[in-house]
Amino acid sequence: MSATLYMPIPAIIERIEDETPDIKTFTIRPVEPIPFAAGQFVELAVPGIGEAPFTPSSSPKISEYMEITIMRTGRVTDWLHTMKEGDEVGVRGPMGRAYPIEEFHDREILIVGGGCGVGPLRSLMLALLEDLQHYARIIVRYGARTPDSIVFKDAQMHGWGQGDALDVMLTVDEAAPGWNGHVGLITEILEEDYLDCHASDGIAVMCGPPVMMKFGTDKLLERGYHPKNIYLSMERNMSCGIGQCGHCRLGRYYICKDGPVFSYQEVQANPRLWDD
Amino acid sequence: MGPMGVKWTIRVSSSLDEVMASLAGERETYALQDLKNGHYQFAKSSTWQPGFHTLGDYRQTEPLKALFFPAREFIGKWKDPSSRKPMPERIVFGVKNCDLSSLAIFDQVFLQGVCPDPYYAEARAKTILVSSDCNSQLDVCFCPAVGEQPYATKGFDINVASTPLGYIIESGTEPGERLLQSAQQYLEPAHEELLNSLKTQRAERYRELVELSQAHGLEPGTDFRTAIETTFESGLWSDFAEDCVECGACNFICCTCHCFLLADGMDADGTAARTKLWDACLYSGFAATAGGGNPRPLRAERLRNRFDKKFSYFPQVMDRYACDGCGRCTEACIANIDIRDVLRRAVDECDALHAHSSDHRAN
Ligand SMILES: Cc1cc2nc3c(=O)[nH]c(=O)nc-3n(C[C@H](O)[C@H](O)[C@H](O)COP(=O)(O)OP(=O)(O)OC[C@H]3O[C@@H](n4cnc5c(N)ncnc54)[C@H](O)[C@@H]3O)c2cc1C
Ligand code: SF4
Ligand code: SF4
Ligand code: FES
Repeated sequence: MSATLYMPIPAIIERIEDETPDIKTFTIRPVEPIPFAAGQFVELAVPGIGEAPFTPSSSPKISEYMEITIMRTGRVTDWLHTMKEGDEVGVRGPMGRAYPIEEFHDREILIVGGGCGVGPLRSLMLALLEDLQHYARIIVRYGARTPDSIVFKDAQMHGWGQGDALDVMLTVDEAAPGWNGHVGLITEILEEDYLDCHASDGIAVMCGPPVMMKFGTDKLLERGYHPKNIYLSMERNMSCGIGQCGHCRLGRYYICKDGPVFSYQEVQANPRLWDD
Repeated sequence: MGPMGVKWTIRVSSSLDEVMASLAGERETYALQDLKNGHYQFAKSSTWQPGFHTLGDYRQTEPLKALFFPAREFIGKWKDPSSRKPMPERIVFGVKNCDLSSLAIFDQVFLQGVCPDPYYAEARAKTILVSSDCNSQLDVCFCPAVGEQPYATKGFDINVASTPLGYIIESGTEPGERLLQSAQQYLEPAHEELLNSLKTQRAERYRELVELSQAHGLEPGTDFRTAIETTFESGLWSDFAEDCVECGACNFICCTCHCFLLADGMDADGTAARTKLWDACLYSGFAATAGGGNPRPLRAERLRNRFDKKFSYFPQVMDRYACDGCGRCTEACIANIDIRDVLRRAVDECDALHAHSSDHRAN
C-alpha cells in the first residue's frame, strides 16, 4: 500500500442503495482490487472534501468491488449521501486487524449488532455463510431503534435465518405499525429466554454504538462468555488509519492498527473503553 | 584516515567555519542563527555561512522534527503523483541531544509501523545530522530528569564538541565518516589532553543540569510512568488545566509530538489536494467522533492525554518516554503550565499514595 500511503486510489460508485432514511449502501469499484478480510476497514475519500473510515459490508471473497454501508452524520458522510452513481471517490486500505476467523472454526458464533454496526457484521456473516459447515452454529441478535432503521432488511432473503445452523432474531426499541417482531433493548434478546447458547466456549462478535457494546458485553459476561471470546469492533476518531497520526489511541493501542477488532480481554483494563 | 571512532580536532591553521563549509558543500544547509535575545533559530542557506551560522550553545526554538515532519506537508494532488517534488540533499548543523534523541520517536512512528512513510524516509536518508554539545542551557531544560544528557551519544552523523582547548569532531555513521574524510585537510587526531578536558566538561555540564532539574523537584531516574498512571484520576489535571486556553502550542512546539491530520481541500488551481498538518491533542476536536461524541470532552482530560501519551503509552510500546527534557512546552505555554511542575506533582501524589499504603500495611 506504500504508493498510496496517504493518497487514495480512485474508485467509481457503481450503485447506491437506500437502507434507511439516513443509511445508504454504496458499491464502489476501485481501479485495482482491494482484497480485505472481514473486520478490516478502509478510508473512503471524497476528493477535495475529506476522508472517513468505514468497514466494508460486502463479502471479503470479492475484491474487485466492495459495498460500504454509510450513515449520514457529518461533513464527509453528508457529502457522500449527495453523490450519484458514476461519481468518483478514493479508497485507502485495507487497514487494521480482521476477525480471527480461523479461531472460530467448529465453534458456535453469536453475532450481536446494533444500529449501523451491522456493516462489519454483514461482511463477517457473508464470509461465514460461504463455509457454513466449518461452524457449529451461527446466531444473530440485532437491535435497531425503529423498524425503519433496520439495516439490510433483505438479510432474511439472503438466507440468513434458514435452517438449524442459523438462528436470527431482531428487536426494535420502538415498534411501528406492521412490526410483529420483538420490542425491547438488544440486551433483552441476549437473555436466556431469547438466546440459547453455549456461552462457555462460544464466540461472540459485537459491533454497534458504544453504549450498546458496553451493556451488551456486560450481558454476555453475565451469560458466561469468556472475555477472550468476546470480539468488539472499536471506533475512535481516525485520520491516517495506519498508526501514525495519533487520533485513535486507546490506552496502549492504536485502534486503526492494533484493532479495530479487539477481544474484550485485550481492552477491558482501559478505564476509558466505552467513552465515545 | 582512520576508522570510525577516531576523534579529530581542527588544525591550528584552519577554522571551524572552514570545516563546516567543507561539510556543507552544496547541500541545502540548516544551522543555528543567534537571535541575540537568548534564543536560536534554524537559518536555511545554500551552504554554511560564516558569521551568520553557528552551532549554538543550546537548542534552537523550533523543534528539529519540523525538518522531517513539516508543520504543513503537501502530499499531492488527486490522481497526480508527480505533484509531489523530491527533496534535495541536506545538512543540519548544531542539533542538540534533546532534539536528536527525539528522532527515535519519529523513526518508530514513520518507519517501523505497518506502512513506512516514504517521504519521512526520504528526508532522513537525504539529511546529514551534525550535532553539537550543549555549552550552556535554558532555564527550562531538564534533559537528565528523563534519562538524557546535554550531549549526543548516538543518532548523529557527525558530532562537534567545543572546549576551551579546541574542537572535538567524530563521526557516528558511514555517511558522516565519509564526509569527515573529505574534510581531512582541516583535521588532525585529537590529543589525549583535549579528550580528557571534554570528559570533564561533559560531566560538569551534566551535573549542572541535574541541579537545575532538582531545583524544580525532578530527579534523574524517577519513574514518571508510574507517577502518571497512578494519578490518572487525580484532581491535578483539572488544577493545571484551569488556565489552559487550548492553543496547542505545547503540542506543536514539542520535539516528540507526532500527531497529524490529513486535510483535504482544493489547490490554488482548483484541483483536489491533500496536505498533512500537525495536529494537537489539546484541541477539543482532536478525538471527537461522528454524532457529537468525544472521548475527552474536558480540557483536563486532554491535558492528561498529553502526559499519558508521553509517559505511559510510549514507555509501553517503545520503552522510553516521549519527552527529552527540552522544555519547549514550558516556554511556549501562555498559561505558564510548566511540565516540570506537572511531573513533580504527579510524583509527589504518587509517593504520598505509596507512603500511605505502606503505612497502612504496617498497621
Ligand atoms: C474503524 C471504523 C469503521 C467504521 N465503519 C463505519 C461504517 O461501516 N459505516 C458508517 O456509517 N460509519 C462507520 N464508521 C464511523 C464513520 O467513520 C464516521 O461516521 C465518520 O467518520 C463521520 O464523518 P463525518 O465527516 O461525516 O462526520 P463529522 O461529525 O463531521 O466528523 C467526524 C469526525 O471527523 C472529524 N472531522 C470533521 N471534519 C473534518 C475535516 N475536514 N478534516 C478532518 N477531520 C474532520 C471531526 O473532528 C469529527 O471528529 C466507522 C468508524 C471507524 C473508526
Ligand atoms: S534539554 Fe539538554 S540537550 Fe536540550 S538544549 Fe537543554 S541542555 Fe541541551
Ligand atoms: S501551551 Fe499551555 S495553554 Fe496552550 S494548549 Fe498547551 S497547556 Fe494549554
Ligand atoms: S488513525 Fe492515525 S493512528 Fe490510528
